[in-house]
Amino acid sequence: MKPAPFEYLRPRTLHEAIAALAHDDAKILAGGQSLVPMMNFRLVSPERLVDINGLSDLATISETGGSLRIGALVRHAQAARDPLLARHLPVVAETMAHVAHVAIRNRGTIGGSLVHADPSAEWPLLVRLLDGVLELLGPDGQRAVAPEDFFIAPLVTDLAEDEVLTGVLLPVPDPDMGMAFDEVSLRAGDFAMVACGANVMLDDGRIASARLAFGGLGDVPLRMEAVEAALVGQTPDAIAGIVADCAEGLDPNEDMHASVAYRRRLAPVLARRVLERAAGRAGGRT
Amino acid sequence: MNESVRTAPTEVTRPKYVGEKVQRLEDPRLLTGAGRYVADIKLERMVHLAFVRSDQSHARILGIDADDARAMTGVIAVLTAEDFTNIADLTAPSRMKNYHATHCPILARDVVRYVGEPVAVVVARDRYLAEDAAALIVVDYEGIEAASDPVAALKPEAVQLHDNVPGNLVFERSFATGDAPGEIDAAPHSVRGTFRLRRKSPLAIENRAYVAEYDRGRDALTLHGSTQIPGVVRDELARLLDMPGNRIRVTAPDVGGGFGGKGSLYPEEVIVTALARRLERPVKYVSDRLEDLTSTSQGFDEVVEATLAFDDEGRFLALQADIIGDIGAYSIIPWTAALEPVQVASFLPGPYRTPAYLGRVRGVCTPKPPTGPYRGVGRPMAVFAMERLVDMAAAKLGLDPAESRRRNLVRPQDFPFRIGSGIRWDHSGFMECLEKAVEVVDLDGFRDRQAKAREQGRWLGIGIGTYAELTGIGSRIAVAPGMPINTGAETASVRIDATGAVTATFATASHGQSLETTLAQIVAEELGVRPGDVTVVQGDTAVTAHGTGTYASRSAVIGGGAAIVTTRVLVKKVKRVAARLFDVDPDSIQTGDGDIFVPGTNHRIGFGELARAVYSDMTTLPMEARETLEAQESYDPFLGTTTAATHIAEVEIDPETLAIRLTRFLVAEDCGRMINPMVVDGQVHGGVVQGIGVALMEELHFDEAGQLLSASLADYLIPTSAEVPMLEVHHLETELPDNPGGFRGMGEGGTIGAPAAIANAVADAIAHLGIGINNLPITPSKLHALIAETQKTE
Repeated sequence: MKPAPFEYLRPRTLHEAIAALAHDDAKILAGGQSLVPMMNFRLVSPERLVDINGLSDLATISETGGSLRIGALVRHAQAARDPLLARHLPVVAETMAHVAHVAIRNRGTIGGSLVHADPSAEWPLLVRLLDGVLELLGPDGQRAVAPEDFFIAPLVTDLAEDEVLTGVLLPVPDPDMGMAFDEVSLRAGDFAMVACGANVMLDDGRIASARLAFGGLGDVPLRMEAVEAALVGQTPDAIAGIVADCAEGLDPNEDMHASVAYRRRLAPVLARRVLERAAGRAGGRT
Repeated sequence: MNESVRTAPTEVTRPKYVGEKVQRLEDPRLLTGAGRYVADIKLERMVHLAFVRSDQSHARILGIDADDARAMTGVIAVLTAEDFTNIADLTAPSRMKNYHATHCPILARDVVRYVGEPVAVVVARDRYLAEDAAALIVVDYEGIEAASDPVAALKPEAVQLHDNVPGNLVFERSFATGDAPGEIDAAPHSVRGTFRLRRKSPLAIENRAYVAEYDRGRDALTLHGSTQIPGVVRDELARLLDMPGNRIRVTAPDVGGGFGGKGSLYPEEVIVTALARRLERPVKYVSDRLEDLTSTSQGFDEVVEATLAFDDEGRFLALQADIIGDIGAYSIIPWTAALEPVQVASFLPGPYRTPAYLGRVRGVCTPKPPTGPYRGVGRPMAVFAMERLVDMAAAKLGLDPAESRRRNLVRPQDFPFRIGSGIRWDHSGFMECLEKAVEVVDLDGFRDRQAKAREQGRWLGIGIGTYAELTGIGSRIAVAPGMPINTGAETASVRIDATGAVTATFATASHGQSLETTLAQIVAEELGVRPGDVTVVQGDTAVTAHGTGTYASRSAVIGGGAAIVTTRVLVKKVKRVAARLFDVDPDSIQTGDGDIFVPGTNHRIGFGELARAVYSDMTTLPMEARETLEAQESYDPFLGTTTAATHIAEVEIDPETLAIRLTRFLVAEDCGRMINPMVVDGQVHGGVVQGIGVALMEELHFDEAGQLLSASLADYLIPTSAEVPMLEVHHLETELPDNPGGFRGMGEGGTIGAPAAIANAVADAIAHLGIGINNLPITPSKLHALIAETQKTE
């Protein structure tokens, strides 16, 4: 479990980082929580590692024009305790409690989680749920990509080999929006068998708008648009009935810990619990 | 010094250390990073190994191309089976009838038989280079059919894994008392089930690791190994390398856990040692987690089909079982393949009075890693199957599970009791542990809570696991039937050196059992010094003639027994010498707290003064009175002693997600006289946590081709603190066993009782669905499948 030989570069600027990526077989090293184990198993053997941990500009969270910008190098633990996120998007802290364990949350980065694109991971689901925009920088400049275009398949994204994910923009929601996240894993901290996030706006006790997204039920984070549409105009009491069949037509992956049928069982359970919690939080700060 | 002055009598209370919560003596070292594990050993000119391991479960080796690897800078050698033709295959012979010992070459020769089997070894300047070179080696395989499922491997058409093992049947054995089949036919009631425990990994936190060094001048070898059995390894190496034992030393320095996985001889140990001599350089091999999961011996893996017959009052009449044990590709050394499966058959009747028993057990080889000793050996499976049958029988008659056990347990007046397999239980608190556990848990109160919860749609369950085990097994009984070595004795040497310091030497090999503390407590109490004054030396074959190590809940009973008998001999010497110094009768002398004294007088010296008088000061004592302050005695309990316990688990299952949460876990156990209650608690806690793993998550998944799918800790799941409730342990001391310290072994019990208790608790929580739990581990996804299947057939 030793990695194959590699060249190690530690750029001081983003510009240097982009230049360092101009190589046939280079990989960015951020928190290293997925890449390093894969290298140790020799599942990947990049010839060059570009360590971006020195790019401290990428490790900040800021408010900018109605959005929160989370730098790619922000650690999960940092996001969990950030006051801006706590004020505008408390669902982030709620979600971070499910990301692996403290040691991993202290090292692992948001950018790493997004570009690794594990179908069960929390950040891809959050960005999909919250209508985030991924900011990529390459030799030809910057581009912004929506999550539905960014996540292509398990561990496959739209990021080009010579691009860096610099951060993600999350729109600041209406303060009356209720948000919630939950997941089911075999042990605390394991990858979710199914993860679910929701947000709900209420108007006079009825659902004015709703978002529902799943992780672990497909190749990429899924938004359940049909369910969302069916919820509009209903009272929260109707949630259970509306989500009851939400797993139908989904084709989740199977692994040794969770069968397809079991994942399908979890989907409506989590959807109901998370939507009801979100609805309970809607209409005012909680 | 011999002038006596009488002083006022003072109350002499000699400190007692056995039974006290003495702080662990090894902790300051281990908790401050001052421990020294094999991986910490760095020697001049040391080279490192990486193994090329088979990625096929059963295949012919057509060729090995290692040219590119050999050409790499920093690579010293690449070796394959043909480089080790002078070393015999590893075999574990057995005196059992119809036993077919497998032959395991130290590197696969011609054929590979499991994924992970070592095929070639690279010697390089460092481990990175060694792995780089290993990655360049191309092994050309031609796949051979094989049945990875043990039941399929027994079928007539199954491909044979070893030429000398017809039908893949390594052994077959039966235990019979009375006419169980006839009794079952005639009985008014019976329950029947097929039970299965899945394969698991011992998973010590420290992977296996070895460093060997060679002294060319003396033609002597030293192997530092992460092992539980340095004595066995030394004896085997001496035979395999054809060297006298006094030129092969095996040490086990600090070892980070074993659980049985470091309790056997491994090909890597032989290769590391042989290469150190061949290359005349220190050789180091530290396995990684992937290698640990694929090449360290694995545990359990049996299918038990069993029937229990009983009368209208729920009294057991007969038990019959057919057991198939999947031993993997090779029989483990020195224990043989019979170790685990035969113990399932011999312990299945458990702590109950069941008059008739028929247990048939077959060991089957399959193209998977060898199984070997794992904490509990055989008993976790036996207890799981039996305790499920007991609950099923109770349910059939509408009896309370505790009452069913009460009616059938061996009662105090029945001891010693021989069960249907021939195992003899000496007096232990079978009934007392059950009653204590049931009382503490408040079974009636739980049933009320359970009913109320059910009304709210919550599923609560409670389960009992009652068992007995044989510990501290002496030379009369083989730890594994027919095995070729004696594990029934321990020798201790206790020595007071010229400075007055006390050193106690054993052939045990503590790898987490706190023996440096508990054995020191025993020696200290017997000798009259403080535990911290006693240095315990163990895990080094250079200091003992014979000894096997630490496993099978033996070290406290046998090692502790040896400590007592040896120290008692030494105390007599101390008193004889002191009597000459004080000019008093030896019987008037007492020792305590580091002093040697005559109560009520001013005769009082320390052990240092005594040692000076004997060893250094040539004037105080005449030559013939200068007895060397050292004793060496052996202890062999001949038989074993019984440890009993009842475990009770409470679970809550989320009816929607089927998540299984352990909400309470309680143990009432009788381990005789406790040496150190903190150590007993620690052993019970650790054992129970492993039992929780057995019940709820740990499983080595293999596909049909014998490929391991759970090859990392992301997929092989062990309990973390988040999955473990507070563990309550209640100690009972009924009648002390007939051994020097009154000790019973207790290192394995936690793992023995917990799986059964949890399985019964889960079954209780879903009793309304008509589903039994006969396969472990049980997970939410598997529970979903069971429920779906039941609903389909309804």
